[in-house]
Amino acid sequence: MRPQTRVALHRCITTPRVVAGLMLVAAIVTVAVLAHWIAPHDPQEQDLLNILLPPSWSAAGVPDYPFGTDSLGRCVLSRVLFGARVALYVACLAATGAMLLGTLLALVAGYFGGWVDWIISRIVDIWMAFPPVILALILLVGLGTGVNKVILAIVLIDWTRFCRVIRSDVMVIRRKDYVAAARLAGFSHGQTILKEVLPAVVPLLITLFSLEMGIAVIVEAIMSFVGMSVEPNVAAWGVMIADARQFMNQSPWGVIIPVFAIFITVLAFNLTGDGLRRALDPRLMTSRGDV
Amino acid sequence: MSRIALLLLFRRTLLAVPILLCVSALVFLVLRLLPADPVAMSLPPGATADDLARLRQSFGLDRAIPVQYVLWLGKIITGDFGTSIFFRRDVGELIARALPATLELIAAGLLLGIAAGIIGGLAMFAWRGRTGEQVLDLATSGLMAIPEFLWAIVLILLFGVMWPVMPFIGRLGSGLVQPAPLTGFLLIDSVIIGRLDVFVSALRHLMLPAMALAIGIAPLIMRVLRSSLLDVIQEDYITQARLRGIAEHTILVRHALRNAALPTISLIGVQAGFMFGGTVLVEMIFAYPGLGNLMVDAVRNHDLPVIQAVALIYCVLVLGINAAVDVIYLAVNPKLRFAT
Repeated sequence: MRPQTRVALHRCITTPRVVAGLMLVAAIVTVAVLAHWIAPHDPQEQDLLNILLPPSWSAAGVPDYPFGTDSLGRCVLSRVLFGARVALYVACLAATGAMLLGTLLALVAGYFGGWVDWIISRIVDIWMAFPPVILALILLVGLGTGVNKVILAIVLIDWTRFCRVIRSDVMVIRRKDYVAAARLAGFSHGQTILKEVLPAVVPLLITLFSLEMGIAVIVEAIMSFVGMSVEPNVAAWGVMIADARQFMNQSPWGVIIPVFAIFITVLAFNLTGDGLRRALDPRLMTSRGDV
Repeated sequence: MSRIALLLLFRRTLLAVPILLCVSALVFLVLRLLPADPVAMSLPPGATADDLARLRQSFGLDRAIPVQYVLWLGKIITGDFGTSIFFRRDVGELIARALPATLELIAAGLLLGIAAGIIGGLAMFAWRGRTGEQVLDLATSGLMAIPEFLWAIVLILLFGVMWPVMPFIGRLGSGLVQPAPLTGFLLIDSVIIGRLDVFVSALRHLMLPAMALAIGIAPLIMRVLRSSLLDVIQEDYITQARLRGIAEHTILVRHALRNAALPTISLIGVQAGFMFGGTVLVEMIFAYPGLGNLMVDAVRNHDLPVIQAVALIYCVLVLGINAAVDVIYLAVNPKLRFAT
């Protein structure tokens, strides 16, 4: 491991936000992976004699259903646990896709400049004229609904978040002496981008990636809330909120618990991203001579 | 307004034209990928193939896509947005009724959010290095982890269900009839016709959705304002002012805040654009009859003419607010006044 990588890693794991965020992320991942074993019920199992039960700690609660049941008598705890799978599935794939597409275009635009840069920047401008939710709705009308379509829509919308930020960084980096030196040493453009430019934007990429995962969780929740993501019987947090909203008067917990799950998940990714940004601040690193 | 600000506005308008053309072409194309046939869906089960063909023809859906686009664009320029497939009504009319409602909501949300953001940012700055700042900093992280549409639900739960003090459905109380629209802005119309009860009811109905939107932007404004105040406060002219014996709060308001406002203004510009997106779900959750609700209905029914028109209106609004923020930025920032 290179010494500067070790310094950066050390700075990350001593930042309280990163530690707290990563611990939360680890907890959520564990819950999602082990959902089958730790959930007390099947998320689809209906118990029509026990509908809209409050959580077990209230007077009318039943210990069999720790967080109560929904309008079809399904276990809220089990559904929330299984919902973590949908959220993480979308977060991982969508954030990875958006990062790959955005970074690729940013590297090309920032490194080569000229007309390539002009075209890519204008596309970003056009994309930015849309509120993201509107663009997502339009894409899902065109692509059809479903959780994988939601992932595709997030990738097609949020690559601009990566592209804008990384591009301006690449434009600075490509003027550095070591990039010129690499070219003089006989590196091709492709080699220079991969071996000299890309590593310099990795800290920023990790930060953006973490924040993007939080955004993807929110977008998935929105889309399953309006019924354009998973099938209506699949346990996803947005679906749970949409179902429970109609029975909010009788049983507010059906809404509160999935809202809390989204809150914790997004908070986890935001804390990690925010902490990484502070720990890996490129201004601090360049002034120290590493990067 | 200065000449340069006007020039900037002009240039922004000119740049908006190609962007809007591309946006409209993009929306048009994406919607034509649609696997289902929206016209067939709107027909009763007994309809014949002839009926379908006739109806498709009347909506112009039988032509080639580029032809459809050019025809549509030509009509838009003359102010004709076409006819809704689902509502069977003029799209322009639908938009004219929904747009003022959304603008009223956005204005209320921005006002609340900016006020809360500035107060919070100043508080964080005033308590810098103390526990108060830490608490507020953590609070902003928490607030930002919940998107507007969940705030809408949480607010309904808190102030509509658990402690029912606020209305949360529509724009007016059930006993009141919406007055004939003069401007379409209920708060303004009710004042013009002198109906205090309508004004109060409209204001109360606006509170929760506006709060949901405001919580979406306030924490960001707080953070940016705090950090730019921290930058500005180290400048020489602040030290100079202190040496002259000017009171600390006067320095803050007269000197620091004015200079620290710039990054906050550009942030508000970006966030206001996002806020239009936020209204879509907030309107849906509060059954608030604005553009967002119209959009969600149209999307669910594959009502292509409405989707196209509403999407275009949203883009015009976003570009408009960006241009407005640029002009404000220019007016406030003395350094930029003499640049291009």
